Amino acid sequence: MGKKIIELKNIYKKYGDFTAIDGINLYINEGEFLTLLGPSGCGKTTTLRVIGGFEQPDGGDVLFDGVRINDVPAHKRMLNTVFQKYALFTHLTVGQNIAFGPTIKKINPEQIQKEVKNYLKIVNLEGYEDRDISTLSGGQQQRVAIARALINKPKVLLLDEPLGALDLKLRKDMQDELKTMHKDVGITFIYVTHDQEEALTLSDTIVVMNNGRIQQIGTPVDIYNEPNNAFVAYFIGESNIIHSTMVKDKLVSIDNVDFECVDTGFGQNAPVDVVVRPEDVVLVPADKAKLKGKVTLVTFKGVHYEIWVEGPSFEWKVHSTIPQMVGDELGVTVDPYNIHVMHQAPIEIKPVETAVEV
Amino acid sequence: MENNKTGINRFLTKISKPFVRFYNRFMDGSLGTKMSHFVMGSGNVYHGQIIKGLIYFIIQAGYALFMITCPEVNKTPLGYKAFINLITLGTQEGDIFTPADNSMLMLLFGVVTIGITLMYLFAYNSGIKSSYKADQDIKNYGKVTSFKQDAKEMLGNRFYITMLTPAALGAVVFTLLPTIFMILIAFTNYDKERQAGLKLFDWVGFDNFTAFFTNPTGEIAARFLPVLAWTLIWAFFATFLNYYGGILLALLINRKGLKGKKIFRAIFVLTIAIPQFVSLLAMRNLIGEYGPLQNFLVQTGILSEPMSFLANAPNVWTARITIILINLWVGIPYSMLLASGAIMNIPESLYEAAKIDGARKFTILRKITMPYIVFITTPYLISSFVGNITSFNIIYLLTSGNPKVTGGYIAGGTDLLVTWLYKLTIDEQQYNLGAVIGILTFLITSIVTLVTYRRSKSYKEEDAFQ
Repeated sequence: MGKKIIELKNIYKKYGDFTAIDGINLYINEGEFLTLLGPSGCGKTTTLRVIGGFEQPDGGDVLFDGVRINDVPAHKRMLNTVFQKYALFTHLTVGQNIAFGPTIKKINPEQIQKEVKNYLKIVNLEGYEDRDISTLSGGQQQRVAIARALINKPKVLLLDEPLGALDLKLRKDMQDELKTMHKDVGITFIYVTHDQEEALTLSDTIVVMNNGRIQQIGTPVDIYNEPNNAFVAYFIGESNIIHSTMVKDKLVSIDNVDFECVDTGFGQNAPVDVVVRPEDVVLVPADKAKLKGKVTLVTFKGVHYEIWVEGPSFEWKVHSTIPQMVGDELGVTVDPYNIHVMHQAPIEIKPVETAVEV
Repeated sequence: MENNKTGINRFLTKISKPFVRFYNRFMDGSLGTKMSHFVMGSGNVYHGQIIKGLIYFIIQAGYALFMITCPEVNKTPLGYKAFINLITLGTQEGDIFTPADNSMLMLLFGVVTIGITLMYLFAYNSGIKSSYKADQDIKNYGKVTSFKQDAKEMLGNRFYITMLTPAALGAVVFTLLPTIFMILIAFTNYDKERQAGLKLFDWVGFDNFTAFFTNPTGEIAARFLPVLAWTLIWAFFATFLNYYGGILLALLINRKGLKGKKIFRAIFVLTIAIPQFVSLLAMRNLIGEYGPLQNFLVQTGILSEPMSFLANAPNVWTARITIILINLWVGIPYSMLLASGAIMNIPESLYEAAKIDGARKFTILRKITMPYIVFITTPYLISSFVGNITSFNIIYLLTSGNPKVTGGYIAGGTDLLVTWLYKLTIDEQQYNLGAVIGILTFLITSIVTLVTYRRSKSYKEEDAFQ
């Protein structure tokens, strides 16, 4: 591992006045499962289409195995795509759909039949060759689409929100299967989604995007535990994001109360954002904490209770297994290492060197 | 065959079911219901449904009166005599002093009386059913529904019956009876010499049909196959040239990057907006003997003297090809609109998926765009083929079926079955032959429609392409 298979260097893409991609630098390792994650319109699908060769970037280079491929048409790029709405040819059978690519390349029919059977097996659809597309469920259609892409033996598979149209249960099952397929086939997967949970479950590396820019690149654990900025913290999981003041190194004033923390290097009395995950907030009797608050709402969520506590200037969201009474006065504490301090301004992503090695 | 036997059995049980039900009602029913089989409405009166019973009784009395008194219209009776007349089609030969029996009215009234009888039988059955239902109501609820409740029901749960009855009656009177009348005429020798009231006409069995294939004098038979052949050739070219021409135009107009798509589309749609007969007559004058096109051709020396491309064309095929070409101009915009709709509906990702697998433009057209368009437009293709078989205006307005052909039996060189039918009945009063052509045309179009439609993918996979 560790070989860079695709590199994006300073990619820009505009549609009229709208900047879809605003200077992206990224590299993808061979065999990696990389996810582009972000809200609608963040540029993740455009990035995928630039890699796939469906869009020409307005600036920057796309490298494949170190060779510039900006001008190489889609079908010569050694990659293939699974589309959001499957894009299956409904007038052909399952087998004919999967055989579409090899047939065009004029491979001999017996060989194609063997390959089709093989890939049907990989996507768990053995014996479905002669079925009509319209008789398949959404999940099965998606598998056919994956088989049709894989049979062309791409080095990189692009998946554009492939599970978006499936219901929750099926989506979970397909996530597991996708992971298994990735392991079995051993090629690079580039996956686009807006579902943070899906991204955390599937990926080796997550690229969080917003407004055409990369916000953070990292492993799922890094992204969740050490969000780079308020946007990442907000988008991944649930958080309390509080405008605060860094009094000095290792001391931050949150909600007008000084908290110990582990962050350094922000200067003195600097405005910062503080992120605290709801499960990291500990409620104690009012006399045992400096920050006091009043319980305003308690909701049972199954695994835990969601408790809203009104502090002096901020309403805290707390996840706890112990219920509280609405109206009670409580103390709010957070362990120093659970306080994540970050700059208020959006963080510029530095060039490729800062990307996390996997 | 075991299977066959059960098939016949099932068929027999199915047709015997109404009779079994009829018998059961008679055996199970109360005294009133049994009475209803002889005097309509008596069952309802027996159960105290006086108004309903009266209505049924009036229907029966009215029908009996109609059948027995045989009211006459134009000296031709309806009622039971109409049945007899339907078989004989009149016995009184006319001479100078006495007019002949009117065979045409006799045939018509026979059909009408059959229609009235069928409606009566329907009412008769519903009268028994209503009495039987009253029996059941008494058994189950201890009381019958009042007339008010029944009337309310007709405006409530059974409102569809109230609404559909006039429509069904209209269909029977204005569509079904005339159709039966027309079909029956095909089995008579009703023609110019045997006009109504002048001379009797009579049943001739299948003579008219055989005349179309093996007439000893050969006149009709000699014309029928050529007209049929031209009709099919015309329908084939008019349909498929228009269809593929429309698709080609749609592909050109919907090309990515073409500017002014809407303007192009609007120009072609203009031909649809102009009434067809106006544009056809304008075209006829434009290329006619004294029209500007001829003028131009003569003045530039391409033609030495004006020559007709349509009704007076020297060669039948000149006229035929001209008609097909003019029809292209009238018909292509329709199929272009249709194909545009289909093309704009093809998801871009289908093209991208094909492209990434290495398909070139022509492969994409052949393997994706065309199957998709054909899938969506097959029903249109079928209906337009059938429409072209019976396309009256284009032929009639452009050439009136001409140029004349020797031994044409009224049919000219560009006459289709329908225009020939029109000439035979309206100009020549050969009603029997016209009726036969009507029936044959119906057979051809219905066979073509049923076979192709049931074999088409659009029919088999209604849900695909959603």
